[in-house]
Amino acid sequence: MSGAAATLAVSGLTSGYGEAIVVRGINFTVAPGEIVALLGKNGMGKSTLLKTVMGFLPAREGQITLHGRDVTREPPYRIARQAIAYTPQEQAIFQDLSVGDNLRLGQPEAKWFDEELERVGEVFPFLRERLSQRAGTLSGGEQKMMLIARALMARPKMMLVDEITEGLQPSIIERLAKALLAERARTGVAMLLVEQNVRFALEVADRWVVVKLGEIDDEGKSDAPSAAARIADHLSV
Amino acid sequence: MGGLLLDILTTAAILFAVASGLMIILGVMKLINFAHGAFLTIGGYAAFVTTQLGWNPWLAVPFAALVGFVLGLIVERTIVRPLYTRPLDAILATWGLGIIIGQVITIVFGREVQFVQSPISGAIEFLGQSYSTYRLVLVALAALLAVALTALLYFTRFGLNARAVIMNEDLARGLGIDSTRVRLTTFGLGAALASMAGALVTPLISVDPNLGLPWLVNSFMLVLVSGISIPGLMVASLILGGAQVVVSTYVSAILGGLTIVVLAAVILRLRPQGLFSG
Amino acid sequence: MVEQAQNGPAKGQPSAARQRSDLGTVLKVSAAALVVLGVAPFFLDIYTVNILIRALLLAALALTVDLLWGYTGILTFGQSAFFGIGAYACALVFTHWGFGAGWAILALALGVLAAMAVAGLAGWLAFYHGASPLYGSIVTLALPIVVTQVVFAGGRTTGSSSGLSGFPTYYWTIETWFWIAGAFLVVVTALAWLFVRSDMGRVLVAIRENETRCAYLGIPVSRIKILLFVAAGAIGAVAGFGYAAFTNVVAPELTGFLLGTELLIWVALGGRGTLIGPVIGAIFIDVTSSYLSGSLPFYWKLLVGILFVVVIVALPQGLMPEVTKLWRRLVPGAKRAAETPALERAPVREVRRGVEKPLAVSGVHRHFGSLQVLQGIDFVANEGELLSLVGPNGAGKTTLIRCLADGYERSGGDITVFGRELGRWPPDRCVALGIGRKFQTANVFATLTVAECLRVSRYRLEPPSLWTSDTALELPEAALRIVEETGLAQSLDTEARHLAHGQKQALELAMVLALEPRIVLLDEPTAGLTRIERERIGAILTSLTERERLSILLVEHDLDFVREISSRVIVLHQGQIVLDGSVEEVVGSALVREIYAGTAMDGKGNEP
Repeated sequence: MSGAAATLAVSGLTSGYGEAIVVRGINFTVAPGEIVALLGKNGMGKSTLLKTVMGFLPAREGQITLHGRDVTREPPYRIARQAIAYTPQEQAIFQDLSVGDNLRLGQPEAKWFDEELERVGEVFPFLRERLSQRAGTLSGGEQKMMLIARALMARPKMMLVDEITEGLQPSIIERLAKALLAERARTGVAMLLVEQNVRFALEVADRWVVVKLGEIDDEGKSDAPSAAARIADHLSV
Repeated sequence: MGGLLLDILTTAAILFAVASGLMIILGVMKLINFAHGAFLTIGGYAAFVTTQLGWNPWLAVPFAALVGFVLGLIVERTIVRPLYTRPLDAILATWGLGIIIGQVITIVFGREVQFVQSPISGAIEFLGQSYSTYRLVLVALAALLAVALTALLYFTRFGLNARAVIMNEDLARGLGIDSTRVRLTTFGLGAALASMAGALVTPLISVDPNLGLPWLVNSFMLVLVSGISIPGLMVASLILGGAQVVVSTYVSAILGGLTIVVLAAVILRLRPQGLFSG
Repeated sequence: MVEQAQNGPAKGQPSAARQRSDLGTVLKVSAAALVVLGVAPFFLDIYTVNILIRALLLAALALTVDLLWGYTGILTFGQSAFFGIGAYACALVFTHWGFGAGWAILALALGVLAAMAVAGLAGWLAFYHGASPLYGSIVTLALPIVVTQVVFAGGRTTGSSSGLSGFPTYYWTIETWFWIAGAFLVVVTALAWLFVRSDMGRVLVAIRENETRCAYLGIPVSRIKILLFVAAGAIGAVAGFGYAAFTNVVAPELTGFLLGTELLIWVALGGRGTLIGPVIGAIFIDVTSSYLSGSLPFYWKLLVGILFVVVIVALPQGLMPEVTKLWRRLVPGAKRAAETPALERAPVREVRRGVEKPLAVSGVHRHFGSLQVLQGIDFVANEGELLSLVGPNGAGKTTLIRCLADGYERSGGDITVFGRELGRWPPDRCVALGIGRKFQTANVFATLTVAECLRVSRYRLEPPSLWTSDTALELPEAALRIVEETGLAQSLDTEARHLAHGQKQALELAMVLALEPRIVLLDEPTAGLTRIERERIGAILTSLTERERLSILLVEHDLDFVREISSRVIVLHQGQIVLDGSVEEVVGSALVREIYAGTAMDGKGNEP
């Protein structure tokens, strides 16, 4: 994959919290329209990697480019405005705002709001009737679907999704997988999914990467027959 | 009795108007603006200038708001922005700013007490009571202010962004909201509200370089008790302002002066998050 | 272990010979200062002497602000209240009751007692467990306002807004007053100097740096703050008394909020946390203000305001550190060689073993509003056991640790520690039960040295001296081993903020072990560490359980690490214990694999 054409390219990236280094010299790229799953156990640096790409954590070393442009030192809001939709794992929604306001915050341009809402409403019809409901009163699964809906509102070229399946039951996970694949088919959006759920990851992603102690331990294609076994080997207790 | 009720209502209205600017800044920026009193003073002098220029006294209010907004933007850029990570130092720096503003005003306008022309004078019959018309107008204006602030926060994109920053700044930034800009605008807005309130209260009191000071601590206490919400601030102004009026009327005017402070300190000990938070 | 305890060296309190003090230096400097003050009136005109007396007294008041704010981190607006109380005690007694030596002593005693009572009450209100620093400042802000209003309310008795004047007082010469004020300031400064450089002074800085860590080291933070506030109030009252006796005038401004904020300005400009800076700042600014009040009153105040803002924004530590830096550059030998304390092995304390379970938890639950974070937690921890708590994010692991270390945290259920109820005790009392907690991110005291951090941790077992510092650092075997094995022993003089991340983590663990706990709670002690550091920590933990028979509860994400070192594992999921067993049982459990892989969890009512 050539770096210039990549939607996201990360090279030699090192970052962490304070002095604790959590991500150590990671290299990888996500091509336009490609879906990559980052796998690995808790505390291995996957979420830290996403936060660094988004500009929430400073890159100690290395470079991050989006659509071929260096964004390594840019603040989160500038990165978000380059058609990057980020859905964090924790505290991802505004609990006290209405569903409508949460979705509105996904699309900074007021003029596109109605159009996008209509489209997102087709993917998750329940949202249309619940626009004035307080988001915190949605069930766990509904909140996750609203989260994806909010990301879709932004007309993203790249989605960074952190453990969307955590704590969800299989039927909802299946629904989210379909929504993500449908969006990619429609708009050609690229995605970087941080996941613990291997089945979901292999279903949605084209490629997988296992991160261990802040470094890439292994990677491969999702459709390779050995993929599941190799990953299971890495993730076993 | 009617007089007492009107006193409580008008006092609460004045307190609400005076404290609202401080609350907006604390709510969005988590910053205690100890220059709030100085911005009230600026509003008072804006009203004084209006009178001197012979303009319509009603123009004092928008004029004060404009001056406050511009100064607020400048102050945010130069003094407040470096101190976001040091909240206690921000209190001190804004207090120092208050000293600077007070001294500049003293140098420009002198130390002496000035008077401002009231837009409305006289009294009207209300609830079987002859009552200052201007104080009653202030109640209406405070209500209007509450409505306008609510509309700004709940029905505009700026308000939505500001609320998002209040609730979860990182999440807001991740959604493309420039929180630095939200803060800049908020500080300007808070300063404008303070100046506007200063212009509104000056017809009731005289103008001098320390006009804002007595209001600062009371506003601060009201805002903390309010739990940072517009209805909360209205209720806090009514309860604490009401207590102040009652103590002043029936016990002593001097003890009335410390009612708000003492009551607030006790309330906050029992409910650290204020009376009306979530 | 018990035998070892009996054979161990029988040492009691640290001996006096081990105490180091600055007393010699302080006496020399004080004597020099007294000589300067002694001759100063003969070289200065009477007006300058006059305003210097006021400045010297206010400098003593500024010093108390520095103790509270600069050293301990309590931003106070209220020291003027105590100054005013002392001043009014003098004026009221001399005006209404009588004048003479007896009355003067009574007035001083009344002023000091009243100030201490007010400070005690305000401190009790302001510094409770869990109070925000802002709330403390609010109370100190209310204080001068209340006192001023009380003065106003006093009518004829207090002279209301015009104050009291013309009461009888000692009409000593102006030089005498100058010497009294000067000697008072020198004594207060000398005592404060010894105090802040003592072991107790380090505790104050520790509270400023990290109050939470202090509480979890068994330090009674609230009590220390209240006592300090009371002492500062007493000093302020004495200064106020002196001021009233000298000037023969008191006015409500002396107790006011504006004087309170002026003190802060002097301290900030001079340099918070330096003692000398605030004293010089107070004297310089007050004297200059008096001089310029005639010619350039507004411009001078404007200049001070601008300087204040600039210093707060650009030089938060004030001007004194800059002066010190310059001095050190100009005089190369000026940097004092720090004395490294000698490490010593603390005597082994005898403990009863095997009688009671270290930790028994039953029916513990915790909710935030309607959100159940923990429910029905029951387990027992044994001696010499390394019990790991694992589970996905949000399973409630850290919440459980919090409930074990702070009696206020849980919503319900019982916890007993060696047979004793944990009750509703704050963290510092939980430490006394034998619980030591290490936080997830390294919580050390940034501006204290490694040795000082460790000494502060010994607060409960070796009460620190108020005036001296110990030249030896006694640590229990376990803490000593960490200090030696991780190279901290070579960095005892290094400030904690300059340590590498791994060393900070090791230091915090050593601090917790310095408490001689019998139950150690560790929240991800290896987060952000290199593989080698992980292995070293793992080896130390294993030996702590085996050799010291400690009971360790470990929250850990790295399951490989858990597998290597645990003797037992508890799996938490959605706030409940789903498995409690040996490492083999957990590794072999299909349920655990499912929880971690997220493949077959039955969601609870998540269907939209």
